[in-house]
Amino acid sequence: MIFSRVAWKLLPAAPAFVILTAWFVYWLVVRPPPSVIPSIADVVRTGAELAFGGRLLGDFIASMGRLLGGVAFGIATGMIMGFVAGVCRPVATFLNPLVVFFNAISGIVWLPLVIGWLGVGNALATFLIWNTVFFIIFQNTVLGIQLVPEVLEQGVRALGGGRWETIRTVTLPGALPYILSGVRSGLGFGWRALIAAELVGATTGLGQLIFSGSEYHRADIIIFGALLIGAIAMLMDRWLLAPIERRTVVRWGLVAASRGR
Amino acid sequence: MSSDKIVVSGFRHFFQSDSGPVQATGEIDVTIREGEVVTLVGPSGCGKTTLLKAIAGFIMPTEGQILCDGKPVRGPGRERGVVFQELAILPWRTVRRNIAHGLEIARVGKAEREQTVERLIGLMGLVGFEDRYPHELSGGMRQRVAVARTWAADPDVILMDEPFAAVDAMTRLTLQEELGRLCATTHKTVFFITHSVEEAVFLGDRVLVMTKRPGTIKATLDVPRHGKGGRDWDSFTGDPEMRAISEQVMHLVHAERV
Amino acid sequence: MSRLRVLLPFGLLIAFWWAIKSGFDISDKLLVAPPQVWSSFRVLIGHGILAEYVSTSLSMIGIATLVSFAIGVPLGFAVGTNRYAARALEGFLRYLQGISGIAWLPLAILWFGFTHTTTLAIVIYTLIVPIIFNTMTGVRAIPENYILALQSLGASRLRIVTDVYFPGALPSIVVGTRLGMGYGWRALIASEMLVRQGGLGDLIFGARTFGQIDRIMVGMVIIGTLYIVVDRLLVQPVETMTLARWGVLRK
Ligand SMILES: Nc1ncnc2c1ncn2[C@@H]1O[C@H](COP(=O)(O)OP(=O)(O)OP(=O)(O)O)[C@@H](O)[C@H]1O
Ligand SMILES: [Mg+2]
Repeated sequence: MIFSRVAWKLLPAAPAFVILTAWFVYWLVVRPPPSVIPSIADVVRTGAELAFGGRLLGDFIASMGRLLGGVAFGIATGMIMGFVAGVCRPVATFLNPLVVFFNAISGIVWLPLVIGWLGVGNALATFLIWNTVFFIIFQNTVLGIQLVPEVLEQGVRALGGGRWETIRTVTLPGALPYILSGVRSGLGFGWRALIAAELVGATTGLGQLIFSGSEYHRADIIIFGALLIGAIAMLMDRWLLAPIERRTVVRWGLVAASRGR
Repeated sequence: MSSDKIVVSGFRHFFQSDSGPVQATGEIDVTIREGEVVTLVGPSGCGKTTLLKAIAGFIMPTEGQILCDGKPVRGPGRERGVVFQELAILPWRTVRRNIAHGLEIARVGKAEREQTVERLIGLMGLVGFEDRYPHELSGGMRQRVAVARTWAADPDVILMDEPFAAVDAMTRLTLQEELGRLCATTHKTVFFITHSVEEAVFLGDRVLVMTKRPGTIKATLDVPRHGKGGRDWDSFTGDPEMRAISEQVMHLVHAERV
Repeated sequence: MSRLRVLLPFGLLIAFWWAIKSGFDISDKLLVAPPQVWSSFRVLIGHGILAEYVSTSLSMIGIATLVSFAIGVPLGFAVGTNRYAARALEGFLRYLQGISGIAWLPLAILWFGFTHTTTLAIVIYTLIVPIIFNTMTGVRAIPENYILALQSLGASRLRIVTDVYFPGALPSIVVGTRLGMGYGWRALIASEMLVRQGGLGDLIFGARTFGQIDRIMVGMVIIGTLYIVVDRLLVQPVETMTLARWGVLRK
């Protein structure tokens, strides 16, 4: 009984345990060249060296700066454009084909073209992130606004509220849950786009760290870098984005409550 | 002179939860004879569904024993059909294919299958809707499909857990009459759970009343079925005997209000 | 009317692009005029070069989709029907989702060299996680009553898989496949840029090194158009069909 409860608690660690064990055993038995498959100890040592040597912090800060810049820019422009398109149907109709097309080539596809405009560096990475995040936020904003029940707006109108009053008190709060969930997935996609962008389009950052690993045939750096990237994504999701989603649910409650009154 | 179909003796059930075991029912003894319609009323949370699921074989009783035809119940089986309160017919099958499902599973030949399905579609008033999908039907119709599916599979015992609870009051009256007719013509053994005292008396040969949680059987009342069953609302509401029994059950149930 | 609705925005966009190009006298090393893109397109088509690049990319995404589907769906079923497997794998899969396929690209290059195998590995990695995830979610969203009801009709385990689990999870599987193909397509382009063994990513990145902006832009248009065609004409109809017919399943 106690045992099974402990086992249940530990179960999520099982895949990591299995992989580490398999890796360890493989390494003991086959002794592959460390440039192809490093030992666990190598990866840990490399991680420690990078962390204490200062390189890691620099790369981390560079990546985070680009991420925040690109995402903030994407949220701002996506929301504004999305809002205009959501409130004004002809604009949405006009933009729709363009959005479908540019969404299909958003992100990394722009790299070869834009690298000529902006050169290698922060601006390029930020552009690629913005380009990825923008469409997610834009589409969620439009959707959120269009899904606000018309009765709610009519309710405010009936109370004598003007167009702006309606938008401020009904449309915007009503669309907020969608916008927030767009922010959540936007950040996730932005993170992915960042790593891809940094592989080629930057000289610093976590993506570049991994890439340098392949240039020097240092699989330990690559593996450490990839695992770190996953860990950062997970922590961001837990501490930054999940709270946003929780707020979203609360917002839904508010919307439902105001409908009930 | 009919024999015992289902025998529940010394039944008690506990669910495991994070904060230890939760008692779902008190000690329960129930015998259902062959061809009998037994209805069960009781307050919410007293363990009605738990008892039904144990008879169906979905859960193993913590204590006591359940026999079907003298053999212990070890799991779900074709001889015990179940109609749930809701959400049990498959949305990706048409009405016809849902009703035929049990027969398909039992590998009944096509001709016989179609004949049975046709008969039940007629009996349950589903003519014209044979090829619709469940989401194209009203809630009442969906419930008819669920009932028809169970009947088509021709089990010995039919277990029903508040099958009409989610149906509007008007439709419910029709469904209850239809079910009454079905019971009378097919002579199935039926165990029927409900919240409604009237429904219990209207359908049952015998009405069981449960105490509040953890529930035990508090009383058993026989409902005399004159003639061929006489389960139609016109004669039911006009029958003083029925009214008396209903009032009696109502008193017993009221004492258990939570 | 609806054709106008599509053509007008693009027409205006092209006019705007052309105006900027000639108005500001931008160098051909940065941006080319629409007619240059068009003639570049004709050249690429004429020599069969474009067909070569396109067929490489399309066959890669096709193979990756088939492989991911064949492995991901059964795995998703296993995880979805077994709560221990679900608990063990859910967090792990989420973690993997945070590491984009591209992050593994350098490792794949070390292991498999600059080959199609590398690209395939990256695309399959990208595609398979959403398929597993959605299969699993789809299976777990099936109401328990469906299964109980079938058990009491005497259904075997296999029967429950074919009659309940599979059709019940299908809409979700289709959604997962569609998502996965979208992510996979992007990962494919990115991987081709670095692996340089053919494909549209190779086309646009190779053109970069020669400063052929016209080719880059042709490539971008093709990448976008192919994605839209495959997504809208092939995948979305299947999704709409399953969702519309059984849509009730998701309330
Ligand atoms: N899976 C479960 N885990 C833990 N406790 C449960 C579980 N199922 C039921 N219970 C508890 O067991 C008790 C009896 O539940 P049961 O569903 O049998 O009640 P019921 O009489 O059918 O109620 P209702 O009329 O509301 O359907 C309830 O207190 C319920 O909370
Ligand atoms: Mg119940």
